[in-house]
This record gives sequence, C-alpha cells and structure tokens, in this order.
Amino acid sequence: MNDATILLRARGLTMRFGGVVALNELDLDVQRGEVLGLLGPNGSGKTTFFNVITGLYAPSAGQVRFADTDLFRASPQQVCRAGIARTFQRSRLCLPLSVFDNLMLGCHIHLDHGLLFNLLRRRRFEAELTRLQRRARELLATFSPALADRLYQPVGAISMIDRRRIEVCRALISDPRLLLLDEPSAGMTHDEADELLADVLRVRAGLGELAIVLIEHEMGLIERVTDRCVVFNYGRKICEGSYRTIAADPWVQEAYLGQG
Amino acid sequence: MDIAQLGQYVVNGMMLGIIYAMVAVGFTLFFGVLDVIKFSHGDVLMLGAFTGYAVYLGLGALGIEASWLQLALVVIASVLAMAGVGALIARFVVLPLRGAPAFNTLLITLMTGMVLRECVRLFFPAGSNPKPFPRLLPDTQWAFDGFALRLDSVLLFAAGCAAIAGVHLLINHTRLGLAIRAVAQDSETARVMGIGFESIVLLTFALGSGLAALAGVMNGLYYNEINFGMGLLLAVIGFSAAIVGGLGSIYGAILGGFLFAALQTLGAVALPFGSAYKDVFAFAVVILIIAIKPTGLIAERSSERV
Repeated sequence: MNDATILLRARGLTMRFGGVVALNELDLDVQRGEVLGLLGPNGSGKTTFFNVITGLYAPSAGQVRFADTDLFRASPQQVCRAGIARTFQRSRLCLPLSVFDNLMLGCHIHLDHGLLFNLLRRRRFEAELTRLQRRARELLATFSPALADRLYQPVGAISMIDRRRIEVCRALISDPRLLLLDEPSAGMTHDEADELLADVLRVRAGLGELAIVLIEHEMGLIERVTDRCVVFNYGRKICEGSYRTIAADPWVQEAYLGQG
Repeated sequence: MDIAQLGQYVVNGMMLGIIYAMVAVGFTLFFGVLDVIKFSHGDVLMLGAFTGYAVYLGLGALGIEASWLQLALVVIASVLAMAGVGALIARFVVLPLRGAPAFNTLLITLMTGMVLRECVRLFFPAGSNPKPFPRLLPDTQWAFDGFALRLDSVLLFAAGCAAIAGVHLLINHTRLGLAIRAVAQDSETARVMGIGFESIVLLTFALGSGLAALAGVMNGLYYNEINFGMGLLLAVIGFSAAIVGGLGSIYGAILGGFLFAALQTLGAVALPFGSAYKDVFAFAVVILIIAIKPTGLIAERSSERV
C-alpha cells in the first residue's frame, strides 16, 4: 500500500475512558475511493473510532492524518472542513426541522450568507436557494423519488427508513471525501439495507473519489459492497483484508458466521 | 370605570407585555441552546438601561442635542455593550461550568447578577438613587374621548414587536438561525456538521442580552426612571413568563409575557386595592397554571427547541 493512495492514516490511536481502553494502539488506513467494512462485536471500539476521527472525542495518544491535514485532536469543525462526513447509529436528525433544513445543516459550511445577504441580495439569494433546492431534491430522488416531494415536511412526520436515507443524504450533500456510515442498516430489512447501500454507491459513482467506511453486522452486505474489511475486538485490529480473507479467519467465523 | 381609564390600562398592559416578552425570549434562547437558566439576565437589562443613560449624559456633555441622534446612539451603544457583556458571561461564567450540575450555573449566574447590580449601585455616581431617564421620543399625543394615546407608547410597542420579529426571522430564516436551532436540538450532531458550538453559544447569549438591553432602554423611555434594582423583578417576571409559556419555545415566551402583563392589569383593575396586590394576583395565577400544565402552555414537542 503506498502513501499516495492513502486518504486516512491512523497510527497508534488510543482512546482511554478512565481505566477503560476503548481503542488500543490502533493502526488503520483508508485508501482513496475504497469501501472499507468495519466489523467487530458491540463495544469493540468501532463507533469510538468514528467519534475520535470526527473530533467528538479527543484521543489519548496516536496520530491521525487525513490527506495532507493533521487531524489528531482536531475539532469537529476542522474535521468537517477537511471533508469527512458521518451518520450516526441512531438517527440524529432534527425532528421539528424540515427535510430541507436538515440537509442544509449538512452543507452548512458551504453556505455563506447571513441576514443582510438574504435581505439585500435577493436575486443571488434566490439563485442560491434554487440551486440548493434542486441539489437536495436530486439527492433525495436518488434514494427515493417519493421522499423528494416531501422536502418541506418536518422530519418528525417521516418514517424511520426514510429518516435513515435523509441522514445519509445530509452526510453526502457536503461533498465529502470520506463518508463514515455507522450501521446504516440498523432497523431495516435486508432488502431495504441492500437498496440503501446500492443507492449510496450509485451517488458515489457520480462523486468521483469518495471513500466509505461502513460499520455493519450483516455479513452478506459486507461481502457485496466492501473492497476491504477490518475486524476490531477490544479496541484492537485483529484481522484485515478482503472479505474472503477475513471470512476465513477462525475468530470471525465463530463470531459472525456461526461456524468453527 | 370610564373608557379613558380602561384605555390607559390596556396601553400600559401592552407595554408591560412587550417588555416581559423580550426578557422571556432571552431566557428561552439561553435555555434552548445550553439548557441553562441565566439569572443575571435581569441585571444585564438594568445595566443596558444604565449604559444608555450614561451615553445620554456623555452626549449631553459633548453638546449633541438632537434627540433622534441621542436616541439612536443610546440604543445602539446599549444593545452592543450588553451583547458583549452577554457573550462574556457565557464565555467566562456559563461555558466553564458545562458538565457541572445545572444548580451551579443557576447559582453562579445569580451571583453574577448581584455583582452587576452592586457594581452599578456602588460605582455609578449616586448609583443607589433612581435616575431620571430622558424623554427622547416625540411627546405628541392623540385624545380620544378623554383618553390620550401617546405617540411614544405606540413607537415603543412597535419597536419591541420589531425586535422580537427580527429575532424570529433570524432564528428561522438564516444560516446563523439554522445553526442555533441545530445546536439547540443536538449539539454533538451540529458540531459534526461543522458548526462551531462555542461561537453559536456566544452569539446566542449576545443576541438575548442585546434584546434585554433594548427592553431596559424601552423601560426607561416609558417610565422615565431607572434604578439599580429594576432588573430583579423584571427577571423574575420574565422567567415566570418563559416557564408558563413553555421554556424553549419563542412563541411560548411571547404568550407568557403578554399573559403576565394581562394578569397584572386585570388584578389592578378588578381587585379592591388592586394595584397593591396586582403582582400577588398575577403570580398566584401563574402558580396555578404551572400546577395544571407543568410543561407550560406551549409545550416543547418531541424535543423541539427555539
């Protein structure tokens, strides 16, 4: 693996909560444009890894480099500006806000106008608004055409499945270079999860070099969509490679495939 | 009671209502973004009124006599200064206590308010005496059947409405407002979306405190008197108004403010020796409403904020 193809590089990443070591000297690389599957039992440090990378937790030790930026103990704002977007395991949309407002939160850093701009530069404001509305509609329509017509409804009135789609759209609308998906299929049927991931990959095809890290328990899904997988246990990386490599690992077989 | 007297009560009630609503909106904003009760709010209002008064004295010393210019400068200086004070309180008093029990924030802001109050009392020249606030608005009045409607009341009421409408527009129709609402909902997600949590908190406190300063100056212009203790009762009333309306909702704060003013006015009109007991009556009704609807008249719907 050579350096030019590496998008995110974590070295010796450690996160301690008091006496609990949630990430233990973790080395992990994400390559440009790959889909990396992240597996491991509950409490193995997958979501902690996301929280450390996105700046919600300040890691205890280690290095994090994203493209040419040092992101060790960076603020969530810096991480967002560097081009990393994420979703949460449990839906974290703002329920009373409309679908459109929630999506606009996603591209908050790209909006650049205050009250004076809105009031005084009406023509440019309207052009900007129209452009954003079209973008939001297009993105939603990729996932579900029906959803695109509900742009101005409060998220609270929308089904859980569609809320997941909106959350993925909110992460995608900022045009990130790295997308962290934390169990996007939780609470979905197999078919719905498949469809969601297929839609994500379809949007990704139009975006160029988007890399995705996917936390997922469903092995079938992992097999179909990932280029490479990493398995965590007790905050350490215990196994890494293609799906076939990790599926051959005895520990993974016992934990996930009900064999061994 | 004749129609003139009734008209006077109604106008007075409306003025009180808009001032209470402005204070209550501040409480609701602070609670919305940070889940804190900032009890120094009333004293920031008082400090805003005194800042305005000091600017007026300064302009007089400089020989600037045009009352519209005095008014503009008094309002601008007072609002900007208190926005700064609000942001400083947020930065150095409220934010460092994030993570501590809410009681600590409540207590420390109560103490901050006391410090502000005592500073004005001790360090403003003859600060313990009430100060005559200048009449800067035109004193035109229209007579209707014995009842005189003063132009300054109308202007002040309009200014209060415009200020609250402005805050509402800001919250609901700008990028900053979107960021404030996002922080109010879920500060962690907001941060992941690239919103600077701390700067949004500081801006929100500046916004609420600027609004309080405007309310303080309006209060001075209406009653033509300010004193160092004026913030105390206004804070308690504004806080009750925010609670009774439903803490966290701007509409609730407005409703609560006008409701409290209506209750005071009703108490003054309907009770024997009414004006002595109007506060007792209004607070008693507020206690009753809270007992019946503990979440306020406009309850937060599924964690709806600001």
